[in-house]
Order: sequence, then C-alpha cells, then structure tokens
Amino acid sequence: MSPKAIGILFVALIVLVIGSSAIYVVPETQSAVRLRFGELVENEIQPGLHFKAPLIDEVRKFDVRILTLDVPERQYLTIEQKPLVVDSFVTWQVGDVAKYYKSTSGDETRAVMLLSSRIDNGLRDQFGIRTMHEVISGQRDELMHELTKAMNAVMTKEFGISIVDIRIKGIDLPQKVSSDVYRRMRTEREKEAQEHRSKGRELAEGIKADADRQKTIVEAEAYRESEVTRGEGDEIAAQIYADAYNKNAEFYSFYRSLLAYEDAFSNKGDVLVVDPESDFLKYLKQSQGQKK
Amino acid sequence: MAWNEPGGNRNDKDPWGGGNRGNEQGPPDLDEALKKGMEKLNKLFGGKSNSNGGSGGQGNGSSAATGGIFVIVIIGLLILLAVESVYTVNERERAVVLRFGKYAETLGPGLQFKLPLIDRVEKVDVTRVRSAATRGHMLTEDENIVEINLAVQYVVKDPKAFVLDIRNAERTLDYATDAALRHEVGSSELHQVLTEGRSVLAVRTQERLQRSMDFYHSGLQVSKVNIESTQAPAEVQDAFQDVQRAKEDEQRVKAEAEAYRNKVVPEARGMAQRILEEASAYKEEVIARAEGETSRFLKLLSVYEKAPEVTRERLYIDTMQRVMSKSSKVLVDVEGGNNMMYLPLDKMISSTPSVSSSSPSRSVTTGRLSSDEIGSLTDRVLQELRTRQSDNTTRRGRQ
Repeated sequence: MSPKAIGILFVALIVLVIGSSAIYVVPETQSAVRLRFGELVENEIQPGLHFKAPLIDEVRKFDVRILTLDVPERQYLTIEQKPLVVDSFVTWQVGDVAKYYKSTSGDETRAVMLLSSRIDNGLRDQFGIRTMHEVISGQRDELMHELTKAMNAVMTKEFGISIVDIRIKGIDLPQKVSSDVYRRMRTEREKEAQEHRSKGRELAEGIKADADRQKTIVEAEAYRESEVTRGEGDEIAAQIYADAYNKNAEFYSFYRSLLAYEDAFSNKGDVLVVDPESDFLKYLKQSQGQKK
Repeated sequence: MAWNEPGGNRNDKDPWGGGNRGNEQGPPDLDEALKKGMEKLNKLFGGKSNSNGGSGGQGNGSSAATGGIFVIVIIGLLILLAVESVYTVNERERAVVLRFGKYAETLGPGLQFKLPLIDRVEKVDVTRVRSAATRGHMLTEDENIVEINLAVQYVVKDPKAFVLDIRNAERTLDYATDAALRHEVGSSELHQVLTEGRSVLAVRTQERLQRSMDFYHSGLQVSKVNIESTQAPAEVQDAFQDVQRAKEDEQRVKAEAEAYRNKVVPEARGMAQRILEEASAYKEEVIARAEGETSRFLKLLSVYEKAPEVTRERLYIDTMQRVMSKSSKVLVDVEGGNNMMYLPLDKMISSTPSVSSSSPSRSVTTGRLSSDEIGSLTDRVLQELRTRQSDNTTRRGRQ
C-alpha cells in the first residue's frame, strides 16, 4: 500500500466526516426544526433521513410522543367554600413544533412549569363554580372536558402544546372536613344499628305475643271441651240415679240420709245435743218406747 | 446500543443525536481492537510498534505487512457487519424496527436481519403480565369516605404504540388507574361499594381505564381490574362493625322469640290434652259411681220391699249406733224450750280428746271455738229444740 493510497484514505475519511454532518435522522418519536444561523427554515420535519448544510444548519429535535405530567397537589375551594385537596395529572404532546420551539426554546422543563401553573388556575376556576357534590360525582367528566378544551385552546395558541386529557386522580378532604364526614358516617351507622335492633325486638315481641295468644286459645278451647265432657258425665250419672231412685223415692231419701249422717258425724269433735225424745233414744227412758 | 435497551424510554435515546453517547459499544472499541491487532502483526513481522495505525508506516513495515493489515481490517469489518445485521427475537417479544428513524415494521419471534447502522430495533415483551396497584381513601357519591385497595393487570397489546406514541406508558397507566377508580367511586354509593357493588365497580373501572389508555395511544391492554378490598375508614370502622352486630342481634332476638314460641305452644297443647283427659276421666268416674251406687241401692231396695218395717228400723238403728259411737253427745232432757239453759259447749269441746276435726272451720291446733261460733251454735241448738218436729233431733256441726 502506497502512501498515495493512504492519502486517498485520509481524504475519504474527511469526506465521510463532512458528509455525516450533512445528513441527519429524525426518529419516529420525534419531530424537528432546522435552523440556519439561528433562523427557522424548516418546520415539522417528519421522521426519516434528511440532509442539511453542514456547519451552518442546526437541527433541534423534540419528543412528540404523548407525555404525562403529574400536577402537584393543590387545595381548591368549591362554590360553597369547602376546601378540597386535588391531585391531578395531564397528558400532553407537542403539537406545533415551531411555536413550541419559539415559546420554550425546546426546554421541556419550562413547558412543564407553564403547564402546571395554567392547569392550577384552570382547576381553581372550575372548582370555584361548582358544589362539592358536583365535583365529586356527577360532573367530573364535564368538568374535565371543559377544562381540557379551554386549556387546549390557550396552550395550542401560545405554546404549540396540545393537551390530550386532564384527569383528577385524587380528591381528598382536609382534616377538618373529613372529621365532619366521619362524624356523619358514624351517626348514620348508629341509626342503622338502632333500627336493626329495634326491628329485632319488634319481631320478637310479635312472635311471643302470637305464642301467648295460641296458648290462651288452646287452653280455653280445651276447657270448653272438658266442661262439655264433664256435663255429659253428670247428665248420664244423674239419669242413672234418677232412674234408680224413682223406684222408691221415700226409701231412697231415708237410705241416703242415713249414709249422710254417718259420713257427717264421724269424729269426736262433733258434738250432738240430743233430745232423749228422739227415736233412737226412745227406749232409754222406758222399755216400751214412747208414743209418738 | 442505547436503542436496544428494552423497556427504557429515556428522552435521550437518540443514537444519532447529540445526546450522551457514553455507552457506545461500536466503532471506538473496534478501533482499539484494530490498533492492537496491527501492533501485534507488526511485531510478528519484526517491525516496530506503529502507533499511527497504518497511516505513517513508510518504509518500516513491508508492503506485504500493510496488505495483511488491510485484509484483516476488511475481514474484521465484515464480521462486524455480519454480527450487527443479525439478531433474535424471543417468543415472548416483538421487535419494532425503525429504518433511518422511521417506523418500518414490527417483527415476530425468530432470527431476524437488519441493515446495520441504519435500522434500529426496539424489543418489547408482549406476553409478560404487568401489574399496578393503588390504594387510598376516596369520596363516594353520597359524600362518604371509603378505603379501597385495587390491583390492575395489563399487557402490551400494541408494541408500536407502546414504543413510539407515548413516553412511559406504564406510569401513565398508574395515574389513569387512580383517576378511573376515583371517578367510578365518586359516582357510586357507599353501601354499593362496600357490598355487592364491588364487582360492578371493578368492571366499570376497567372499562374507563381501557378507554383512557386507548385515548393516550399507550398500546396497553388492561386484562383485569381486581378490587382487593373495600372498607370503611378506620375512624368509623367500629360503627360499621356495630351495624353488623346489630344485624346479628336482630336475628338472635328473633330466634329467641321463636324458641319461646316453640316451647309455649306445644306445652299449651299438652296442657289442653291434660284438661281433656281429666274431664273424660271425671265423666267415666261419675258414671261408674252412679252405676255402682244405684245398683247397691237397688239391691237393698229389693230386700226392703219384702220387709219394709223391720229393715227400715234396723238400718236406722245401725246407722245411729255408728254415728253415736263416733261423736260426742250431750243429752238434754228438758221439757219444751227452756231457753235459759246454759251449755258450756266450749268447755265440752275442749275437754274432748283432740282428734282431727272434719269441720273445716276448726283447725286442730286451736282446739277451741270462738265465742261467736259458740253463740250461734247455742242459738241453733235451742231453736232446734223448740222447733223440733221429728223425734230425732240432731244437729250437725258447721258445714
């Protein structure tokens, strides 16, 4: 290999270096602007291989993917002056590269700061015209939609930034408000517990009363039935007695009285004051008995 | 190359741009290797060490040596190119290929070729299930606070979008999960969230999250949202537990009442049964007694009718004998109604041997009649004496 060849190689190397500074690649994730002596000459350069004048052109590339920014937690007041601690995030991307470059000189940190403070203001406005209930439940979509639209218009016009979406990822109540909420929750639970207990007692009382009713009825019916039965017994017995004693009523009366006397005067505690004139004692005074 | 670091998506990933290129493993290493190689060769051919890398080897190195160096350089470059232009994609991965920075294609698993220095390859794991979790206190629609734990599982569905359309899709998903969950909780009632509404909440959160992720071109597919727990905040936990206890109390009190019912009603039926049995026993008893007594009477009657006078007298005297022998007697032999007669009945009674009295008004323990009783007794005796019609004047004690 001659020195000449080496020279050629050297020249080739130089050419390669200069050539390589004349081409550049914009990857899919980015967009670029070309500046000549600091002046913007080409905008929105699409991904791919591109050429530029070496040494006098400068190419600035920006990430045009969707970016996520966590907006710091801030406290906002609702229309009824209730404070809410709101944590939100925003997804955005560079829309108009030239505008973006001019307004932020391509410094993402600056863009993020701008975005944060604008969103902060936007949220403050949106919360200030709504009640807490609207913010929490029904109108969240609407609120975010409005805010996104308003922010998007401003940011596109001023900074070439397009806002994809703003979302709230947390609404918390400050300590004072949440303790009120807890108090209310507790009261509601206590009410519910009381309701259950009372209802239990109510049911129990009903069941017991029903039991007592059944008991009373069952016993009363049994009593009725038993009285009927006893009556039947009495009736039959009386019929039997009557049938028998009617055969000789006078003798029955005598016979039955004797049984009754015997039963009645059956111990020494009974004192009989007896007239000696009585039938039983008729022979006590005279052997012939007394004349009646 | 920095491009080929999977997963990482830093802003300065541009291999051509003026970013930090501290970890380039291409040409510089190659130069070093070549230099070393050439020096070794020179030594081999007896030449001195040449630090100018072949540019200044005038006359020292032989032309053969220089040629050799050239050949080696060429071969080295070829090998390098070969190595650079082949790569493998794992079964789990997809490769997103950028040609001159432009998106070219997405390749599946296997041995793949690329243009060295021109193609950039980004490999993405598309089967690994990634997960995110969030927890926290949030407000429900009825302005209560609830504590929720939630886990999300997701995969990369669209590697192209995942790599090219969004920066740090996974962090975005974390944020969007929080947002979606709070949104859904904010439009549900506490009671729902704590009970049967949990599964519905999970489904709706998943749908909302997926919509967000599609909207952001994240290329992520949410495969599952799992709400691990929903509970009332610790500050009011005890009140919620008390509600549970109250529900149990309700059931318990009810059960106790039912137990009472199950006891009382059958007992009442038993009692009823007893009453009925006793009644029918009474019925049988009185009938039996009636039959017994009447048949006794009828037998006696049949005898009596044969000899009435004698039988009657005998019955009377027998009975009186039994009566008189069992009870105390006072014989009063006066002519018609001397009502000034004084009977010290109390004395008489108390002097009688104390036996149990059949009269219910006189307990055995006192053994005495009150003066009222004695008075009335005396009156009755006198009255009896006066108004006596039959000859056998008897007076029973109190009924």
